[in-house]
Amino acid sequence: MHLRSSPPPRADALAKATGAERYVLDFAPAECLSAGAYRPGAALNIAHGRVLGVDASAALAVPGVLRVLTAADVPGTNLQGIVHKDQPVLCGEVIRHAGDPVALVLAESAESLRRGLAALRADIEPLPGVFDPEAALKKDAPLVHPQHKGGNLLLGARIEKGDARAALKNAPVVVRGEFSTPMQEHAFLETQCGFARLLPDGVLDMTVSTQAPFRDRFEIGHALALNPFKIRIRAPYLGGGFGGKDGATVQCLLALAALNAAGRPVRMSWEREESILAGYKRHAVHLRYTLGAERDGTLLALSCRLTYDTGAYAHLGCEVMELGMEHAAGPYRVPHTHIEGRCVYTNNPIAGAFRGFGVAQVSPAFEGLMDALAAKLCLDPLELRRKNALLPGDENCSGVTLTSSVHLAECLDELAAHPLWTTRQAWRAAAPRFTRRGVGLAAVFNGMGYGRGLADMAIAKLELTEAGEFLVYNSVADMGQGNAAAFALLAAQELNQSLAENPGAVRLLQPDTERCHPSGSSSAGRTTYTFGNALLKACAAMREKLLARAAMALFVDETQALELAPGAVLHPASGRSLPLTALARFLKRDDRVCVGEFLMPVAQDPPDTGRAFQIGFPHLFFSYGAHLARIEVDELTGRVRVCDFLAATDGGRVLDRSCFDQQAQGGAAQGIGYALLEEFKTRGGLIQTADLSTCLIPTALDLPDIQSLAVDGHEPTGPRGLKGVGEVGLNGPAPALASALEDATGERLRDFPLTPERVLAALNKRRPPSRRRA
Amino acid sequence: MNVVFPRNMAALFKALDEPGARVLAGGTDLLVRLRSHPDSGPATLVGLDRLPALRGVAEDSGWEPGLGTKDGRGDGSPSESVGPGTLHRALRLGAATTHAELLAHPLIRARLPVLAQALADLGSPPIRNMGTLGGNICTASPAGDTLPPLLALGAEVELAAKTGTRRLPLASFLLGPGRTALKPGEVLAAVCVPVPGVDVRQHFEKVGRRDALAVAVVSLAALVRTGHGGKIVEAHLAWGSVGPTVWRCPEVEAALAGRKLSLTALTEAASIVRSQVQPIDDVRASADYRREVAGNLLLRLAMLE
Repeated sequence: MHLRSSPPPRADALAKATGAERYVLDFAPAECLSAGAYRPGAALNIAHGRVLGVDASAALAVPGVLRVLTAADVPGTNLQGIVHKDQPVLCGEVIRHAGDPVALVLAESAESLRRGLAALRADIEPLPGVFDPEAALKKDAPLVHPQHKGGNLLLGARIEKGDARAALKNAPVVVRGEFSTPMQEHAFLETQCGFARLLPDGVLDMTVSTQAPFRDRFEIGHALALNPFKIRIRAPYLGGGFGGKDGATVQCLLALAALNAAGRPVRMSWEREESILAGYKRHAVHLRYTLGAERDGTLLALSCRLTYDTGAYAHLGCEVMELGMEHAAGPYRVPHTHIEGRCVYTNNPIAGAFRGFGVAQVSPAFEGLMDALAAKLCLDPLELRRKNALLPGDENCSGVTLTSSVHLAECLDELAAHPLWTTRQAWRAAAPRFTRRGVGLAAVFNGMGYGRGLADMAIAKLELTEAGEFLVYNSVADMGQGNAAAFALLAAQELNQSLAENPGAVRLLQPDTERCHPSGSSSAGRTTYTFGNALLKACAAMREKLLARAAMALFVDETQALELAPGAVLHPASGRSLPLTALARFLKRDDRVCVGEFLMPVAQDPPDTGRAFQIGFPHLFFSYGAHLARIEVDELTGRVRVCDFLAATDGGRVLDRSCFDQQAQGGAAQGIGYALLEEFKTRGGLIQTADLSTCLIPTALDLPDIQSLAVDGHEPTGPRGLKGVGEVGLNGPAPALASALEDATGERLRDFPLTPERVLAALNKRRPPSRRRA
Repeated sequence: MNVVFPRNMAALFKALDEPGARVLAGGTDLLVRLRSHPDSGPATLVGLDRLPALRGVAEDSGWEPGLGTKDGRGDGSPSESVGPGTLHRALRLGAATTHAELLAHPLIRARLPVLAQALADLGSPPIRNMGTLGGNICTASPAGDTLPPLLALGAEVELAAKTGTRRLPLASFLLGPGRTALKPGEVLAAVCVPVPGVDVRQHFEKVGRRDALAVAVVSLAALVRTGHGGKIVEAHLAWGSVGPTVWRCPEVEAALAGRKLSLTALTEAASIVRSQVQPIDDVRASADYRREVAGNLLLRLAMLE
């Protein structure tokens, strides 16, 4: 470990703060054609319908409109999907949700594209739809994918250990609850976008706002019958992703457009309304829970059934549900579990990956029952969690023995000692008029990596440039979470370069499938862990190489006598040094490159359960967190104000405190929106919150200062001991705020979000009748 | 699309005479509408922000209490309602004055806090920097944040045309959602607001789904004048977002007269509100919630006591 006086700013901070950073469309050539998808369902109020025809004549008559492509023009399978290929690039027979595209327009300009899209007509015959997972599972329900063997049940799965039924029957104390969590819109600043060009040599050159450039090649190749190795994807910094750019958004449509553009570059950029209409959402989930315990609060058994609404297509529905099920019993020791999950097709918007991937949905349920249990047993809710919190070496709720780092207890201890917790009674009692105050907490966790069955790997390439600087070939897109900056920092530390003195000492190349080596996606809290480990290996190899090559020039016999210093190789004994600029010129290009790779370890002897999951079960590494919320509830309006929020996080050892805090705060902010505000509404599969005036996310005024505490953890397998912290922060606010609300009002709300209407109704339940309505 | 910026009133009226011309104030509503209906936009937008006559805050020399029209022209009827309190004077607020300018104005802050509070809750800093008071009024949304305070204050609008100006009580100007009494060729030039006396308590509260950039779910502007023994002499109340236009409730105002500003009196008044108000369901809130909160917001007045 090399000590530094003060940490350098994030590698991307200055360029982003000054507006100099270039995002995807900033790279698009001016002469780009414009491509856009025609999604008639929303305008026709049809979420499920048979496509009888697309009339392109009027659109083709619009000046500047070059082509109108339909399903008949799609080469290949016309099916996209990361794991399950069930989503047409263009729908030829049926639309399964209101945002399904039936045509693709290619035009000279954005304006002619707009006119062309407006002139398109589709003849779509409405079909009976299913909009509720329970209804979708009924015997005579209309089928979303008639060819799917399981009907509308995309996947049913079970994770169990011990004998939960018997244990619950004999448990001295049992609590139950039903919960529901809503869809959520990613609402990233930069909507889905990209540009592409078919080069004369047959290579399809694409620049896309994507979380998975390397995998995109295969998804596009499969859908359009293209050789994936003749597709080049570049992924500059994203203007937000949160999971919503994991998997094809514009990719296949844009590729199709480029194939039909006679070699001209084409761009596609979704308007905000299209982003809301066609983008992926967080899965809405219904949860039914039973938890049994001893009278002293020791957990005995948990049984639950989770129903995930995956909408019209699978996307990552099975994998999202898997994560939810694996976390369903919370970060606690529970000897007996029986966890059932059903992932169901409906004609609702497509659900997919979203930060907190399946886990944000189950956290309010397991934590809700922990509070119920504490209340029933008259135990302190924090003590109850502390008593049952997973410790290193414990077996978690899906039967995995935790050989990885676990510091949940320390997170809870941080809360217990914090003034926001210790002064809660006095604070609560000092509520102003018409105001109730409440304090709540939650303990959460989130798995890291893809899980068993899908290699979670990364290959890092590092070059000493001719100019004597180090260039990191980043393979994992940075959607704003700061992984690229973390890579620069890791490399600088490992190579003993000072970014504070020379920010150019380590430079970054953002993902480019042509120049970088393949690595997994930017997702699953894996990014910095997996690529970081690979990068450290590449750095170590580079250091060895440079010391060896410098030995000759410095007339030194032992490389141990040399060390890598900022900008040079140094021989401390003699004070001689060889500048890297000089050393670089000694080496041929191939010789200036080092590559390191890393494969995330998986659970050994995995439990014999969760057999429905071919990939992704189980996980071995988890980040942990404990969140505390202090709120004020207005008795007259039901509005909730979050006064204080505290997030204590175990993300292993902290590499960069400011990046760590930003992830904790960003996750908590998004979680607060999910818990209180973001009510994504559909009716009959049609989105009612179709733009940002109705699809609301929190503003700066709606959020408190979020305090982030780091517990001093260490994950031995992590790069410099770190674990991913991108997701765990989102899982805490919903349960913590529901808990605070119960503290304030005496009522537990189990349906999210906790809107003023629901809160006011809860207050009325408790209000003496005389006060309710005169 | 052309955009022109006349620099005097004559040029303004000339520009508005052109076919397909439409007034552009701050554009915070208009540009959103034009974006959703790009093919039905006007041929020319006539900007108002370079017309000194339409900007700024001044003492309203033309104010005559109780008289609806200043110069006898037009179809204005005598104002039924003027602000409570002694009408020392009135302020003339230029229609093209931005929300931010009004909010920063010492007279608005000191004498019209009910309006200042609504302005502070309106949109966000960028919206307040662009949006104008006249635009908020002419959009005539039942959720327009400045409308309840202006109605409770008994504001009048000054409408200017090539042929002259006329005054109308704001209540007569607002006809329905998106509909006003503005005639072709006419622009809203100013809003004239009688200044309540110092014995009038002013209160505004907006309930939105979030704390900025939120459309009101329910709002309430209240002016309450109390006399000897803390008894209410006069109460002027106006609710936003509970009907097609800003909603007044004379029964409640009458019921409060003579009572103290106590929770008991306000609770009774709230029940009248709930029985009279007829809000609708929309994506932001249910009618039931709006009805209940429309009543509940009155209870907050107990804090003024």
